[in-house]
Amino acid sequence: MLPTGQALDDLPPRPRVLLVDDDEVNLLLTAAALRERGFEVTEAASGSEALGQLSGRAPDVVVLDALMPELDGFETCSLLRATPGFESLPVLMLTGLDDEASINRAYQAGATDFFVKSSQWSLLDGRLRYLLRSSRTRLELERSKAKLARAQDLARMGSFEWWREASASFAISAEGLRVFGRGPQDRLDFIGVMRMVPADDRHVFLRLLRDVIAHTSVLVTDLPLTLPDGRQRVVHIEAEPEFNEQGGVSGYTGILQDVTDRRQAEDRIRQLAHFDALTGLPNRRQLIYRVERAIESARRGGHEVGLLLIDLDRFKVINDTLGHTAGDELLVEVGRRLRACVRHSDQILEGVLDGLGNRGHRGLEAVGRLGGDEFVALLPEVADERDAERVAQRVLDALREPIFVGGQECFVTASVGIALYPRDGQTMADLLRNSDVAMYAVKSQGRNASAVYSPQLAGHGKQKLELESALHKALERNEIVLHYQPKIDVRAARMVGAEALMRWQRGNVLVPPADFIPLAEETGLIVPLSEWALKEAARQAKLWSLQFGFSDSIAVNLPSRLFERTDLVEHIHQCVSAYGVPHRSIQLEITENNLMKDLQNVIPSLHRLNEVGVEISIDDFGTGYSSLAYLTTLPISEVKIDRTFVRDLGITPQSSAVVTAIIALARALGLRVIAEGVETLRQMEVLHRLGCSLMQGFLFSKPLPADELERWIAQTVLPRKAPWITQADSPADLASRGQA
Amino acid sequence: MTAPNPALLLDPEAIRRLRELDPSGGNKLLERVVNAFSNSLDRLLPDLARAREGGTLDLAIVRHVSHTLKSSSASLGAAALSARCADIETMARDGHAQGLHEQLDAMLQDIQQVRAALAALL
Repeated sequence: MLPTGQALDDLPPRPRVLLVDDDEVNLLLTAAALRERGFEVTEAASGSEALGQLSGRAPDVVVLDALMPELDGFETCSLLRATPGFESLPVLMLTGLDDEASINRAYQAGATDFFVKSSQWSLLDGRLRYLLRSSRTRLELERSKAKLARAQDLARMGSFEWWREASASFAISAEGLRVFGRGPQDRLDFIGVMRMVPADDRHVFLRLLRDVIAHTSVLVTDLPLTLPDGRQRVVHIEAEPEFNEQGGVSGYTGILQDVTDRRQAEDRIRQLAHFDALTGLPNRRQLIYRVERAIESARRGGHEVGLLLIDLDRFKVINDTLGHTAGDELLVEVGRRLRACVRHSDQILEGVLDGLGNRGHRGLEAVGRLGGDEFVALLPEVADERDAERVAQRVLDALREPIFVGGQECFVTASVGIALYPRDGQTMADLLRNSDVAMYAVKSQGRNASAVYSPQLAGHGKQKLELESALHKALERNEIVLHYQPKIDVRAARMVGAEALMRWQRGNVLVPPADFIPLAEETGLIVPLSEWALKEAARQAKLWSLQFGFSDSIAVNLPSRLFERTDLVEHIHQCVSAYGVPHRSIQLEITENNLMKDLQNVIPSLHRLNEVGVEISIDDFGTGYSSLAYLTTLPISEVKIDRTFVRDLGITPQSSAVVTAIIALARALGLRVIAEGVETLRQMEVLHRLGCSLMQGFLFSKPLPADELERWIAQTVLPRKAPWITQADSPADLASRGQA
Repeated sequence: MTAPNPALLLDPEAIRRLRELDPSGGNKLLERVVNAFSNSLDRLLPDLARAREGGTLDLAIVRHVSHTLKSSSASLGAAALSARCADIETMARDGHAQGLHEQLDAMLQDIQQVRAALAALL
């Protein structure tokens, strides 16, 4: 016979039954009936025997006779329930038909169900299978609840409910209590929760809550709170209304979750997205957002916005010499100082301007970093350009103090370009471009200053473009010329050489080198220009030797990139060969900074040049960052004392100390020393007294076209007519003046 | 109370169900059940006899014996015996000692008849 009742569905193939009855006949028959219906039956003739059996293989269900001598069914059931692992094992109590008292006692003792004894075995079979199924369902429910509780614990989540009618109307689950920093036994009512919320947030929350309840809507909000142990947390709350049979709201049930970590991560992400990681200042994206908001606000309010573009001067030099780490440190400090120059607001702004109120645009004020060494100061409301200039001056002042990075003090200056909305542009892009134009104007005028944008400045930008294209054609049009400044030996009052300096004869205008050499270097035109200069100098040397027996050298300034060219020696060889002059008629000048920048690449050229007789002179000597030790290793012949030291001679004691040191060093190394920029007799006297007799400068002659130099020699040097010649002629007098 | 009709001593339907539990008879179920009933009686009846000795009837013992016999006799199809046991159990539970002795005597008679009928089945 097949088992009756439901299909076997998900039950074990042979459910195990522990059958307990003191009546032997019943035990025997029931066991036989259940076995026949597919159960595996273990028999026990008494309660104590049944409890003893539990330690073995646990049954799936227990069938227990209620009335037994000694340990009866009720006591047995109570003891079984008290045994760990058997709290929810299904127990079916067998009672008599009319025994209502036993039925009640059975439930009190923890029986799952009762069954009136009957020899209708199919009824018992059906009841047992029903019990097994519901027990399994219950077990799954309990497991699921345990899983849910664990998941909620992990997610720092809990639930709560609130009922309108009931007296203890607000209840939080054990997991929820944990979110609030309480144990499962603690009591926490609504007021207790509200006490953890800061007053301001509490008012906002209660207002929201009243609103939600009034509209029977869903509650979704985040609530900041301080737990009893002082921890600050953010709890996310979501609750939905529950309805009664009449369709009225009977209460709310919901979940709560500690979302502090998520909120912190979100804040961090927002911070990364809107702020520069190095300086902590608003980044380009945040700046664009703020400037756009400031423009909107200014359009409505009819006021002006100031945009300051702040670019550090020669930051690349600092980065190259001190390293990127020091460069970064410097940027951090600069950022810190700049921030103090405005009413800097660190608030993250993303579409929240409405919440800022009428004067909200004030909160946009900030210094941000565009990238590299470029910073922007946004002034959301300025009265006029003087307002902006005052802030620019604060910026320049703030950088005056040295910054200590990489183990040394650095002096940093900045060039500041100012543009105003609406006068100088209607959009962020316009304002940024025009402040950039103003900033470049500052750079070209010597840096460390500020300038307000004007259309004329933009014209300069256009001029620069024109200049560049004109410079390209200058060489082929023979507009580039060399002027020569004589090098003088004051002891003999004679010319001992000349420095060739490039000039651009552009129509009727003579463009000064400062206006086109940087451009030539920027565009790479400096290479063909320099090559041309070498050739022209060789030609001039030949010409002069024919005209007045010139046998010294003409010095040509070369950028380091020319020294890096392997064909430099070959090129010079061709130049001198073409005009039949010796190699030594060409001397090369390289600035100390240029030389040091590419020392390793330049050294091989220096050696080869030296071998063929081309002398090397170090220009602007004393201005570089280099140690002097390298000089001993270089094949150089001459150092030129920088004009800044010469200028201050007789004015500051430091400059004569520097000059004295350079002269002593050069002497020790067997190098020639020549002073540049000598403009006064006094400078000449001091230099001479300190032991430097080779000089160059306006005192003797400004750079002159070749034919004029020839005339100058004929009319000034040879007749010995100039004041410096008179002075130089009487060394005793020189010495006495020098000591005065 | 008159003696019951011997034909109704054992309910044929109950016996059929009993046999169905062991259709081939390989488990000797019927024999074991009858033996178990017999053993049970051998244990219970001396208890009952002791309960009836002396002045007062021990109702607790009477209740236990009648309860046990009520269900086991029902299982064997001895409906009349089972019904009488049920009556006795109720009387004992409710403390009605009146007429209990007569009922118990009748029950002992029923038991003898059922025993005989069961023996005839084997």
